[in-house]
Amino acid sequence: MDLIYSLIAVIGTLVVAFIVSLFLPGIERKFIHARIQQRVGPPITSPGIMAPLKFFFKQTITPESPMPRLYNALPLISLIIVVILLLFLIPQMYFVGALASVIALVGFLKVEEIMYMFMGSLSRSVLSVRMPFPDKAKGAAHPETPQSFFEELSSLRAFRLIAFGSFPLYIAIFVAVAMTGSIYLQDIIAYQQVHGPILFTVAGVMGAIVFFIGYMILLNEYPFAILKGKPDVVEGPYLEYAAKYRAYVYITRGFLMFTLATLFATLFLGIAPNILNPSFIITLIVALLFPMLMAVLSAFSPIFTYKQFYPTVAGVSIIGVLAIVAALL
Amino acid sequence: MDDNKQNRTVIEAEIPMGTVHPAALEPYRLRLFVEDEIVRDAEITVGVNHRGVERIMEGLPVEKANSLTEKICGICSNSHIWNSCRTGEIALGIEVPERATYIRIIMEELERLHSHLLYLAHGSEVLGHETFSMRLFYIRETVMDLLGMIGGNRVQYGSAVLGGVRPRCELDEMRLQKITEGMDLLEEKITAFADRFVSDPMVMSRITGVGVISQKDALRLACSGPTLRATGVARDLRREMEEYDPFEFDVITQDDGDVKSQLLMRVFENFEAIKIIRQAVRDLPDGPITNRSWEMQDTPLTKSYIEVPRGTLYHSYALEDGRVRNCVIRTPSMANIGAMQHACIGHHITDAQLSVVQCDPCFTCTDRAIEIIKL
Repeated sequence: MDLIYSLIAVIGTLVVAFIVSLFLPGIERKFIHARIQQRVGPPITSPGIMAPLKFFFKQTITPESPMPRLYNALPLISLIIVVILLLFLIPQMYFVGALASVIALVGFLKVEEIMYMFMGSLSRSVLSVRMPFPDKAKGAAHPETPQSFFEELSSLRAFRLIAFGSFPLYIAIFVAVAMTGSIYLQDIIAYQQVHGPILFTVAGVMGAIVFFIGYMILLNEYPFAILKGKPDVVEGPYLEYAAKYRAYVYITRGFLMFTLATLFATLFLGIAPNILNPSFIITLIVALLFPMLMAVLSAFSPIFTYKQFYPTVAGVSIIGVLAIVAALL
Repeated sequence: MDDNKQNRTVIEAEIPMGTVHPAALEPYRLRLFVEDEIVRDAEITVGVNHRGVERIMEGLPVEKANSLTEKICGICSNSHIWNSCRTGEIALGIEVPERATYIRIIMEELERLHSHLLYLAHGSEVLGHETFSMRLFYIRETVMDLLGMIGGNRVQYGSAVLGGVRPRCELDEMRLQKITEGMDLLEEKITAFADRFVSDPMVMSRITGVGVISQKDALRLACSGPTLRATGVARDLRREMEEYDPFEFDVITQDDGDVKSQLLMRVFENFEAIKIIRQAVRDLPDGPITNRSWEMQDTPLTKSYIEVPRGTLYHSYALEDGRVRNCVIRTPSMANIGAMQHACIGHHITDAQLSVVQCDPCFTCTDRAIEIIKL
């Protein structure tokens, strides 16, 4: 009976998460963003459901890539990693021991970040093809310069994202560890059931702010869109994805939005995602609230260059460290 | 060897942007030579959109050629047709009725308003601030409606004709009232936008000290219009045009020559344009709007320079049997290309498009000459 209950909980949670995650990009980009900009915007189902559906039925093309099969496989691998991440957040999976710990979660998130780097380094888009004539106009300042690809640029930026850009998210995750004294999700949830949610402490509030900024950075949302800024790298790593592979990219983004919000609910509210638990509604509210807040912030922000990105990451990371110190006290 | 070549460093990589790129409204090629995402040199190539307008104008009857100039640009269409008619009027010695001149000024200043608002909206979009961009496009709608009301179209108004303005553009009491109301509304909206814009710390940190063009460089690179004035040079050709003599307005300047100065420059120029329109509406003289009493004759090459939203616009042609000969048009962006390239250098690659956009480029109407390269 227990096994059936667990199976229903795990599969049901994943299915509900998948359904909800399809609506999140629509809520964020079109519903909230468009309303702030006083425009109607397309239907809420458009970016999360209709667009992937459309892409699934498009003709697949071979991308300009040194390893096209691997390049095309990356969005699917990325989606699987996010699903695994969510899977180990579900309480019925805590029996796997170390995999249901904060360290494992950080590892999965790091792999997810590395995917952007692989995507960038394996792509060669049409936008970067050299012109078929010599650059005669204006005397061609540097005619023999080696040409860099937009995706190479985004790959380098992905490396920076891994190196320091995602600091805030990981620091915020460790606020819960510092407060509960355990890296295991089970213990973190148990601690909050006794002492109340971490969010309602000073360290928790600081950690929540830091987590939210990290969430935006990892999702590459304005103003932190270093991987796909419109003024330079356009879509960055995703540029060459077409048909079903692009659909996977869209679905992964929605799923990652949901998973990160679930991670927040688990670490800061002590509510694990479980469809059979009534408190799952709070997880859903958090999942809806995060994209809304993100849309508001991005609607009123310009895109950051490193000049703004470095100090923001550094400043938010310092707040995160202070939150950890406050949690230890 | 010029200064530019002497200062050129060893380049790590080239990032080509274009000829088609989502951040650029029109096709042009921006080659950025970078070292660790910092632009060390830049090169802009135009010529993708050459339409050979001067070649088509060659031999056309002057009225027809004039109306063709309007098709050069979708933003400053009125500037082109006005300057083209002005060239013919100078050549043929046509006296333009005062009422027609006032209506032309109203049209031109409305065009300046919509061009500057478009510039600010485009600049905001490249900056990544979509909300500012959308709001500015809404503000611009007021001007577009007024232009549509007067000219019959929102883009190609065709108001100027040789000797005045066409009858469609006559301003009656109702239209004057609508223009006045439009100016009140615009002033209120632009003021609100300007307040919000300058008080946004994130936007200010993003545009201050970026894409700097010093006054010395602006003069060396022969910049014109607001691009030049944003570096502190108080040069406005409207001060030298007799059509603008009856109007009181300030020549706006900014000191820093960076993106912030360029954006603020256009914001404040909007208020001056509103000021001029209000004066023109208030003092609009009575009388005819077209002078038909002139005769066609052959003329030597005649030039005309006017101040348009982006800078100095040049038109010249000779007349032979009422037909246009040796037509040459030079748009302001041609003068500003050097500044656009210069502004990119030393800044982050993400700022490159912004540095180009800050000079308010219009490459499609700049594409005046091509060189055919045999492959």
